Amino acid sequence: MKLDADAMKPIYVQIAEWLETEILAGNIGGDEKIYSQYQLAEMFNINPATAAKGRSILADEGILYKKRGLGMFVSPGAREGILRKRRDETLKRLIFELVLEAERLGIQENELTDMIRQMKNGLRGEMKS
Amino acid sequence: MNAVECRDLTKAYGSLKAVNNLSFVLEENKITGLIGRNGAGKTTLLKVVAGFLQKTAGEVRVFAEDPFNNLTVSANAVFIDDNMAFPQSLCLDDLLHAAASFYKNWDMGLARGMLDYFSLNPKQYYHRLSKGMKSIFNVVLGISARCPLTIFDEPTTGMDAGARKDFYRALLKDYLRHPRTVLLSSHLLHEIEDILEDILLIKEGKKLLHMPASHLREYALGLRGKSSLMEDLAKSREVIHQYCAGEDYAYLVVKNDLTEQERHQARLAGVDITAVAAADLCVYLTAGKKGGIDNVFNKNQLV
Repeated sequence: MKLDADAMKPIYVQIAEWLETEILAGNIGGDEKIYSQYQLAEMFNINPATAAKGRSILADEGILYKKRGLGMFVSPGAREGILRKRRDETLKRLIFELVLEAERLGIQENELTDMIRQMKNGLRGEMKS
Repeated sequence: MNAVECRDLTKAYGSLKAVNNLSFVLEENKITGLIGRNGAGKTTLLKVVAGFLQKTAGEVRVFAEDPFNNLTVSANAVFIDDNMAFPQSLCLDDLLHAAASFYKNWDMGLARGMLDYFSLNPKQYYHRLSKGMKSIFNVVLGISARCPLTIFDEPTTGMDAGARKDFYRALLKDYLRHPRTVLLSSHLLHEIEDILEDILLIKEGKKLLHMPASHLREYALGLRGKSSLMEDLAKSREVIHQYCAGEDYAYLVVKNDLTEQERHQARLAGVDITAVAAADLCVYLTAGKKGGIDNVFNKNQLV
């Protein structure tokens, strides 16, 4: 397992995002137990305190919940929560960067939407095959 | 409980204060990285904590006792550097047995397993090993001793990249199973950053920072763009580092206290905002003279 050492994001944010992706992919379902901080520390070669911080971000957001003495579990509504967060925060930020770069290059709105549409169709073709 | 406590600790060599009025607390069972440039006082500090050197002033407590001339501390602490003095008449296996008789948590299986993994012959003599192999034997000893206080002072000197990676992994894995207080000094912060819980940054014997290592990446921001654009951003905050290229292009490292609005405005104006790697930040924070190495060349008109 590899983390992006040069990324802008702190390691614990990358851990939180990796766990989210695992939940989105259906690898860990609602009310199932999530990896312990020690398992994550060993998997990603990081300090367990950093791994614990990644888990506690998700607990604060209600994506995980604690059972006393048993560990942390995935909330039943975790998927919807993650999808909402990714759309409202991550996607918006990416679109900001996209629009900013398009402005710098003087690309018109319809040109930009065409490029998005083309990319989308292209990817859809690749994913099917 | 705190494993190590220093209050206004000073260690002087003549008029030079290698450790200067240093205060900090290390909680039990944390891995702390001691970071600083050459001559910052790392080794002196570690040796005072290990009880090898006597403090000049202030207070130092290890497991609530003064470490100097203290049997409890020496039985519960192991100090590894690249200057280990082992008797020349003992082979590596004899050295492991000697360590086993001294350290009560010693794991002989682990020690032998690691010697084998690193292809160290137990019948070999320490003084015949290469520099890198000596370092490997030292860290095997340091990990296998499982001391409540484990100190590594630049332990990877001479080790190749593969061995260094294996050492960090071995340390982390054994720490996960047998938590202990670890103090690890290095100037290769990027290599050890991820396994650290806290970082203690010192300069000229004084403390600059003591904080969770995972927060270091958010401590500062790098701003890149036209100098005129960044003047306003730089005015009201601490500039940690600046580098000017050409007439009107600059890279600034500032404390990360920009509001969402300020970030947004800066991005719109064409300023690139990036994270600052922990290792780079430490170099900037511990930089001696403003302008860095370029200044030397400028003064000598070599540029």
